[in-house]
Parts: sequence; C-alpha cells; structure tokens
Amino acid sequence: MAKNDDCVHILQGLLVFGNVVIGMCGIALTAECIYFVSNPHDLYTLLKATENSDIYAAAWIGIFVGLALFALSILGIIGVIKASRTLLLLYIILMLITFAFEMASCITAATHQDSLTPELFLKQMLERYQKSEPANNSDNEITKTWDELMLQNHCCGVLGPSDWQKYASVFRSTHTDADYPWPRMCCILDAQGLPISLDGCKLGVPGYYNSNGCYDAISGPVNTHAWGVAWFGFAILCWIFCVLLGTMFYWSRIEY
Amino acid sequence: MLPLLLLLLPAAHGVVHLGYMPVLTTEPRLEGQKTASTFVLDQPRCVFKDYGNADIWLVVALDGAESSFNNTDRPGSPEIAFQSFPNPARAYMTLNATLANYPCPKPAGDITVLRVGSETSCAKDEMRPTCNGPLPGPGPYRVKFLALEGSVPVAETQWSEKIMLPEAKSSNTISTTGSGHSAGMIAITTILSILFAILLAALVAMLVFWSSDSCSGSSTFSKPESVTVRRYNTHHVYDQPAARL
Repeated sequence: MAKNDDCVHILQGLLVFGNVVIGMCGIALTAECIYFVSNPHDLYTLLKATENSDIYAAAWIGIFVGLALFALSILGIIGVIKASRTLLLLYIILMLITFAFEMASCITAATHQDSLTPELFLKQMLERYQKSEPANNSDNEITKTWDELMLQNHCCGVLGPSDWQKYASVFRSTHTDADYPWPRMCCILDAQGLPISLDGCKLGVPGYYNSNGCYDAISGPVNTHAWGVAWFGFAILCWIFCVLLGTMFYWSRIEY
Repeated sequence: MLPLLLLLLPAAHGVVHLGYMPVLTTEPRLEGQKTASTFVLDQPRCVFKDYGNADIWLVVALDGAESSFNNTDRPGSPEIAFQSFPNPARAYMTLNATLANYPCPKPAGDITVLRVGSETSCAKDEMRPTCNGPLPGPGPYRVKFLALEGSVPVAETQWSEKIMLPEAKSSNTISTTGSGHSAGMIAITTILSILFAILLAALVAMLVFWSSDSCSGSSTFSKPESVTVRRYNTHHVYDQPAARL
C-alpha cells in the first residue's frame, strides 16, 4: 500500500534524522567534557580540598557517554535503513544503558553544584588558609589559590573581610588581630606587591582594601561547568527519549 | 577676704569638664571601626582649644571602673600601666598628644582618627607603660580624654558610651550540611526518572508483544530484501512453428 510505504519512509527518515542529531550531540558532549577535564580552572584545588569533586566524575562519564552515543547513532541509522530487528533491539538496549549512565552524570553534576555553598568554602578557608604547620601539600595549595584569587579578583574572604573578624581561624592564631585584621592580600597592592597604605588597609578605609567577598568569583566558573554538564546532558536525554520511543514503535512494526 | 580666698582655691584646683563625648568614627565608614582588639575614635579636634600647653591623654577603662579612676594618677605609673590592664589595673592612659597634633578646624577630606590598640611591639614591654597596645578582651570599655599640664589635670571630656568589641566564633559553628536542593536539581531528577521509567515500560511492552506474537499482520510492512521477484519464462506463440519445422 502506497500510503503505508509513505508512512514507513517518513518514520525511517525521522529516525535517521534523530540518530544523526544524537551522533552530533554525542560528539559535542565529548568535546565539552574533555574541555572541562583538561582545562581545570584554578579553583580545582579548592574543589578537590572540599572532597567534593564529583563534578569532575560527572565530566568523565560525559566523555564516554558522548562517544557511546556517536557509535550507537551509527548503529541506529544502519538498523533503521536495513529494518533489521536484531540490530534495532541491540541498539535499543545499549541506548537504554547509555541513557542510565548519562542520567547518573546529570544528577551528580546538579546535586554537587548545590552542595558548593558559601559556608563550605568559608569553613575550608578558615581552617586551612595559612595553616602554620601544613599537614599536607594541599594546605599550601589552598593558601596559594586563595592568595591568587584575592589578588586577581580584588576580593577578600568568602563573604567579605568581616569573615576574618566574625570567626576564629588558623590565620588568626598566627597573626594578631591588631596587625592583621585581615590578610595582607585583602589590601590594594601596588606594583611591587606592597599595600599602598598599610594603615588605610588596617583601618578599612574604602579604597585601600578589597571589601567584596570572593564567593561570586568562585561560584561563577563552577556554575558554568555544572550547567554545561548537567543541563546539556538533560537536553540530549530528552531528545534520545523521543528517538527511542520512535525506534521501539518502528521495531514492533517490522515484519519478522 | 577669707570667703573670697575659699572661693578661689577650688577654682584653682578644679578640672574643667568639657561637654565633648568621645565617639567611635562613623564618617567615613571604616571596616575596622571595631575589631577583636582595636577600635577607632574620632580625634578630639577643636575640643581642647584653650589648653595649648597641655598634654592630652586618652584614658581607657573597663566599664564600671570610671569612678575608681583618679585624674591625678600620673601616666606611666604602675597602677595604670597598660601591661597590668585589665588585672590589677582597671584603666590605663595612652596616646599622648598636644594641641598641635589636633589642629582646629579639621581640614575637609582628611581622615582624622585614633586607632586604639594598634601598637603590638610594646604590648609586653614593661618599660613602656603608656603603650597603645591591643585590648585584651571584648570589653566593654569606656574612654575619655584628659588634659594634663605638667602632672596637674586641667580638663577632661565626658566618658564615652560603652564600647563593646566583637568576639570571634569558632568555625565549627558554620554548618556545611546542604541547604536543601535547588529547584533545578529536583526537576532534572524527577523528569529523567520518569522518562527512564517510560522507556523501560515501553521496552517491556515491546518484548511482550514480540514473544506473544499477537500483533503480526494488519499494518506491518515487509523488509526490502525479502521481496523476491520470480522470473517467468514466456512462451512466444511465434517461436513454435519454427521449432516444429
């Protein structure tokens, strides 16, 4: 029947198109996740120290899922054109497994983005910045990261210089409050790296110290990263859902 | 004559009470106005105008010890040494200055403040009893300015309001256990779980259909390669007479 043939061809065309899009999205996901993994921004040390770097695990899963999607899309295209029941069944099952992995990756990225609150970074900073007897190398790394962060972003502390006043810290135990109400890095420095006015900085005169907190500078890159992994993966999964339903319908209609 | 002398004597030994009250600096707004061991006062400009020869001292006392402070205590004496503050000394004198240090009027745009507690080098040095050392606790404290000519007090300001310094909390009080889940994360989890469940159900339905074989027929279509064309040999009528002959 001509009408049935037309429906068949339309369905085949749609499925091939769907698989082509899946293939391209798979490549894009792999590329994006490789970018995140190989180009860790400077805050990686802070994230690693929070023992909460599952956002990187999510990116690693994303790389392999992307490649799997590309391979499966090719399998899908061949299966649809050949109308082979075995190929398509294999395609559906493997695609479901990939769907499950990508789902895990998205949910991990979204959950861990939520856990990176200002309080987490505040506690880490107070307990490890300028620790006098660093327990391991990561304490030194944290101090260096925070110094660079405060210098480059013209910020101080997580919520502001008052963090150093409101809470006790290891920094406070080695530096007196009268000489160092907040670290020297919070002062506005000249070209030689010395405060332009030490008294102005200690008093907290506007213009001689950094009054903003660094949380915005931290959360910006981390949020971009998490959005890239979580929401892009979510969009791909919605598309895959539609294509898989179409493929299952097509499969059930193939004469064996 | 005698009553006149009696009237003059108290005036000669009296300390002038100026109406000025020392205040914490509010203009400009300073982040370090009160820290754990320092605080910032406005300089007493245009207050001690008539006392060009006097030394102006700052008296820092524990709240409640103002009445026990004696104006005639000499600055630097052991009873009011910074190093014995707050126990046993309940007040100390520091930040010695003259009227030349506090010119009147204050030039606009200058920040004229006194930072109480800024000298850390002499905090433990017994040879420097008038050290402007860091305050040992959160207070509360009260301050006043006292003008001495030689060692005779001639003028004093009022005691300030109570100055309470902030205390630092331990970092253990910061709770890092999650603040709940954001709407985005809940949306992703719910929607993806539903989609996955639908797909699994569809897969199960599909396999059930296949094994029960109940839906073969009506709108199925055939695979391209399974269509075979059978070739017919046609017998031409015209060839037969040629074969017979």
